Amino acid sequence: MSAASQALFANRWLPVLLVTPLALLIVVFFYVPIIQAFYWSFFLERPFGGGSIFVGWANFARVLADPQFWQAGRRTLLFMVVGSSLAVLIPLILAVAADRAIALSQPARNVLVWPKGVAGASIGVVFAFIFNPFVGILAPLNHWFPGIWNPGIDGTDAFITLIAAHVWGGIPFNFVILLAGLQSIPRTMHQAAAMDGAGPWRRIFDVQLPLIMPQIFLTLVLEFTESVTSAFALVDTMTQGGPGGATMLLVYKIYTDGFAGYDLSGAATQTAILMVFVILLTSAQFAFLGRRISYER
Amino acid sequence: MKFINLAVAAAVTAGAGAAHATDIEFWYGNTGNVEVAIQDQCEAFNAAQSEHKVTCVGQGSYEVGMQKAIAAYRSGNAPVLIQFFDAGTLDLMLSDAVVPVQEILPEVDWDNYIAGARAYYETSDGRLFSQPYNSSTLLFYTNKTQLEEAGITQTPQTWEEIIAAARTLKDAGHACPFVTDGDTWRVLEQFSARHGLPIASNHNGYDGLDAEYLFNTTFAAEHLANLVEWREEGLVKLNADTQAGNYTAAFNAGECAMMEGSSGSYAASSEAFGDEYELTVGMAPMYEAYERHNTLVGGASIYVMKGHGEAEVEAAKAFLDFLRQPEQQMFFTAATGYVPVTNDVLGAIEASGEADAPKYATAAIGIESMNQPRTDDSRGIRLGFYVQFREVFMEETQKAFNGEQTMQVALDNAKSRGDELLRRFEQTYQGVTLP
Repeated sequence: MSAASQALFANRWLPVLLVTPLALLIVVFFYVPIIQAFYWSFFLERPFGGGSIFVGWANFARVLADPQFWQAGRRTLLFMVVGSSLAVLIPLILAVAADRAIALSQPARNVLVWPKGVAGASIGVVFAFIFNPFVGILAPLNHWFPGIWNPGIDGTDAFITLIAAHVWGGIPFNFVILLAGLQSIPRTMHQAAAMDGAGPWRRIFDVQLPLIMPQIFLTLVLEFTESVTSAFALVDTMTQGGPGGATMLLVYKIYTDGFAGYDLSGAATQTAILMVFVILLTSAQFAFLGRRISYER
Repeated sequence: MKFINLAVAAAVTAGAGAAHATDIEFWYGNTGNVEVAIQDQCEAFNAAQSEHKVTCVGQGSYEVGMQKAIAAYRSGNAPVLIQFFDAGTLDLMLSDAVVPVQEILPEVDWDNYIAGARAYYETSDGRLFSQPYNSSTLLFYTNKTQLEEAGITQTPQTWEEIIAAARTLKDAGHACPFVTDGDTWRVLEQFSARHGLPIASNHNGYDGLDAEYLFNTTFAAEHLANLVEWREEGLVKLNADTQAGNYTAAFNAGECAMMEGSSGSYAASSEAFGDEYELTVGMAPMYEAYERHNTLVGGASIYVMKGHGEAEVEAAKAFLDFLRQPEQQMFFTAATGYVPVTNDVLGAIEASGEADAPKYATAAIGIESMNQPRTDDSRGIRLGFYVQFREVFMEETQKAFNGEQTMQVALDNAKSRGDELLRRFEQTYQGVTLP
């Protein structure tokens, strides 16, 4: 491999030169802020600058002893598990259906991709309207049972709304990946299974699902990491963390602490913790799930 | 950094020498018809003289304005003039990022400002830190037409009367008698001030950074518990209980009959009511057993930020002088409902012969409310990370409104979380004394 790539460039510094601009961008916009966050997490930082006091691990001790942090962490975990599972499961069902040679599968394949073009914040605005207790689709429910549905008051309702919006936004991408996986399964496999007397359901569980495990794994890994961070736009447009902090996910708590509350040190500390958590989570997924998956066909 | 500052200073001086207009920026956070009024004032300033030019930049909200100012200041790009809101007062006083207006404009007669406005923004030795701009206070609004339809001819003035009226309205089939958003400013700060109750020790922080929150032990706790009960009874509604989704919008649309709201929203209500409903506005309600004290000045004031050349500061001073003119303040009051807080403007409104005109309706009432007898606990709020405390308070009390915990538990939690913020603020600003 290395011998081949070296042969491509006459000058050994040329490849380095070509990569430098991009590498520089990544360093400036990605690594510098991360290092800054880690740095601030060891200081008490004044909002407008000026004095900053080194406090060692005190910020971490404070954050880890704060019940609000753990509550936000539990909510993030719940959102991640429920939101990501649904955001993979629903596209999986849709993909399996669209993969079958039924009349509507062609248009469905197109239509289901459209939501990919909608930004998170827009999804939030639209779903806030759809789930509005007075004019939304659940408004009739309130008519029969007054006060049963109100995401502005009830924390559970707000959380459900948030998950619904997140799952909806995740459908297109996961659908495309999973459908591509299904389509790449050779027809002969289906035919052979059918010849052996396997019905459609048995073929799904014994042929299709095992063969698209790499795609399912990929969507799950991406969903898990993304649900931690990308929920921000939804929370910001739909609930702002309320009511009563019921939708205060870690990523939004960091924002409100740092930007609304000027607690730069606390926000930096939580960022550092969250980042370590996401890295550990992804490593764990690769270590325990990834190893069981066969990429061979 | 120093080099850049020098370069900027040199560039600015060069600009001034060439007698070009000095361009400065002014950042503000308001939207809607307040923003229109601000832009009108900027245009008027630029049209009135050619020496300076101010560009007024809207930031969408006070909070976003402050966030951007922090980032801009840290990178050396802060505007000369910026509007900050009441809750950020202490953060700014200790920030070392602003110059007290009284220091750069020593010749101005600052005593012209009413005591209520001064108390909020002045240092312990009586120097104003910022120039009050869009000043507001809490007022009580009613939809007189709807009250009369329900048979209420006397506008209620105390909480007891409001609740009696709310029951009458409810019995008459009104879905939303009284609306509020439960915002900290409305239900805690203004309530405590006018009932003479402290929010925190050290007179709300005026006497030192080692203050602790007290509101969970005062009568404010009882009032908040009452709000929960009244809401369950269907007399009081919050933002999310209304179809409009927002308390002022619900009141303006005629969905709700009574509201506690800022004087700054008067113009919007009056415009929305038009000929359909009759609007009344009065001082915020008291409990009958309590003696009335002043309400706090809310809204925002203008700060001069450090790190700018002489020409820019001159331009900033000129713009501040312009905004202080009685006719500008009268224009702003008429356009928005914000209250003028200088004595000469009140005189000018009297003299204009339009003192009773609806456009000045909030001026007299607002001033009367802010001029009620003052106590050491109703000067203002000087507590650190107070913006974050407001969030904490809202979060905990929302849990009480939706039944997750009692109001007393909510307030106790808010107190202990608030005290942690105060302790961290104290630690962050070690060795700094209150100006």
